[in-house]
Amino acid sequence: MGAENDLSIRNRIQALLDRDDAHLWLFAAGTLFLTVLPLALNTFWTRIALGVLLWVGLAQSWNMIGGYAGYLDFGHGAYFGAGAFVTGIVMTELELPFVAGLLIAGVFCAVLAYAVGVPTLRLSGAYFAIATWAFAEAIKELALIIEITGGTYGMTIPTGPGTAGIPLVGWPDEMFFYYLMLVLTLGTIALAYWLFEHSEFGFRVKAIRDHEDAAQSLGIDATKIKRRVYVLSCAIAALFGSANAYYITFVHPNDVLAPIITDQMIIMALLGGLGTIGGPIIGGVLIFLLNRMTSLFLGQTTLYLPLIGVLIMGIVLFAPSGVVGILRGEVGREDVKRNLRELAEKFNIL
Amino acid sequence: MSETLLQTDGLTKRFGALTANDGITLGVDRGEIRGIIGPNGSGKTTFFNSLTGFYTPDAGTVTFEGTDITGWDSHRIARQGIGRTFQIAAPFGNMTVRQNMLAVQTPKSVDEHERAQEILEFLDIDHIADDDASGMSGGQKKLLGLGRVLMLDPACILLDEPTAGVNPALADRILDHLRDLNDDGTTFLIIEHDMDVLKQIVDTVSVLDQGQHIVQGTFDEVSTDDRVREAYLGSADEDEVPI
Repeated sequence: MGAENDLSIRNRIQALLDRDDAHLWLFAAGTLFLTVLPLALNTFWTRIALGVLLWVGLAQSWNMIGGYAGYLDFGHGAYFGAGAFVTGIVMTELELPFVAGLLIAGVFCAVLAYAVGVPTLRLSGAYFAIATWAFAEAIKELALIIEITGGTYGMTIPTGPGTAGIPLVGWPDEMFFYYLMLVLTLGTIALAYWLFEHSEFGFRVKAIRDHEDAAQSLGIDATKIKRRVYVLSCAIAALFGSANAYYITFVHPNDVLAPIITDQMIIMALLGGLGTIGGPIIGGVLIFLLNRMTSLFLGQTTLYLPLIGVLIMGIVLFAPSGVVGILRGEVGREDVKRNLRELAEKFNIL
Repeated sequence: MSETLLQTDGLTKRFGALTANDGITLGVDRGEIRGIIGPNGSGKTTFFNSLTGFYTPDAGTVTFEGTDITGWDSHRIARQGIGRTFQIAAPFGNMTVRQNMLAVQTPKSVDEHERAQEILEFLDIDHIADDDASGMSGGQKKLLGLGRVLMLDPACILLDEPTAGVNPALADRILDHLRDLNDDGTTFLIIEHDMDVLKQIVDTVSVLDQGQHIVQGTFDEVSTDDRVREAYLGSADEDEVPI
């Protein structure tokens, strides 16, 4: 009986999602909900919601190159950190407002990503992952030794009235940052949806991911398209890095350029479902809340890491298409049983 | 006087000590259907890969419509007018049949949606246009592979075993489509192991053996040629030849 109900609810959800305008309505409802949400939240929960938005947006940006294009970018966090430092430098050295820092961070990281993408996107699989990881490490070490980033002392970002450079924004408070993140995150989701799910460009990106040779034989310039996706996804990460830097007002290479930044983006996209719009949203919400809640209720800031480890193992082994795959019914009980049996046979447990 | 559409001169491709294509000189006329045959390992697929830019030849040239396209990137060769299918017909996953068609990089002047619809109708797979492509049968996947190539509006199409693994009725349909396209002026190069299929459709056959182009002629001519018998059987004296 329960199973029948599950099936019927799943079928109903599927029927709703199959409607042509379903995603539009879902997006509109989500936007409305998230717009009024802070009115019902205190400062603490607004900060949590803000963090969720930040990470959903970051995971979605990683999903563009990692999920849709299938290039496992282990250096994505470098652009998040670079965006933070560029914003700081623009605001302190050039004494320009935040909004200028945001735009310059985006452009700077787009150019940086282009330069990095030219050699690295010729690599594939593990080689690309290693090259991008090494690049991120290099950026972090560089930020620790050069003066303009504050080196090991880090960098303080100007705050206070007038620093935003946006009309009507006085002292930037939680509400301002919440809505800033909301705009960036919804913008990223809408862009990803339109570009990767509804445009010929997106079909070409997926074609390259699935069969690069076949794609090339159909006139698709794989190198150029991969580079565009990489540049776009990295520039978006930089925008989030910039906004986050202005929010936290102090940036240090060991924080904003930490490898865990990239790791979290990957884990969120993987848990939710690679190469899907819903995946990074679901993964971002779940992982960020898991992180905050373990810290809030268990007083632990690192406990969520082994929990995530177990989650990732579970996902990779039993539901490679993530939560979205489970919701779509791609992974059923039989699949889990089969995977468990295969695993047991592999390790001679049975 | 027929016009040469595609010409290779001394096309050579080596992999270490192995010479997979050894100085292949071959011309294909516009509007022709040319079969490419040869025993396993004779260099047929390598030849296709060299023609379409997946391998850079070590020596020799490829000329298409009078332009030297040797060493061009594969996507550029495709845009120039040479389409190809692969031995294993794999649709792009997580996409519908129509989206598979729309993924093709057509010239800017082309209305992609209209063109995709026309081709899907031509191939009789328009009824599944909005279905998930990964759920198609083997034969339908072959048709989709051909359909995607047609989006390029190529002057020349290279087909690697277009009917392999396809049920006979669908194989006949594929051959009918190829004839129709050929009547409209499309030139074909076809690698095919099934000689019954090949003799139904080709104008001429080129035989490769050990990377070399050993014979060219009509199907009947090459099937009685001693060099071909030797290539397939190791001796020209044997009675039974697979072609």
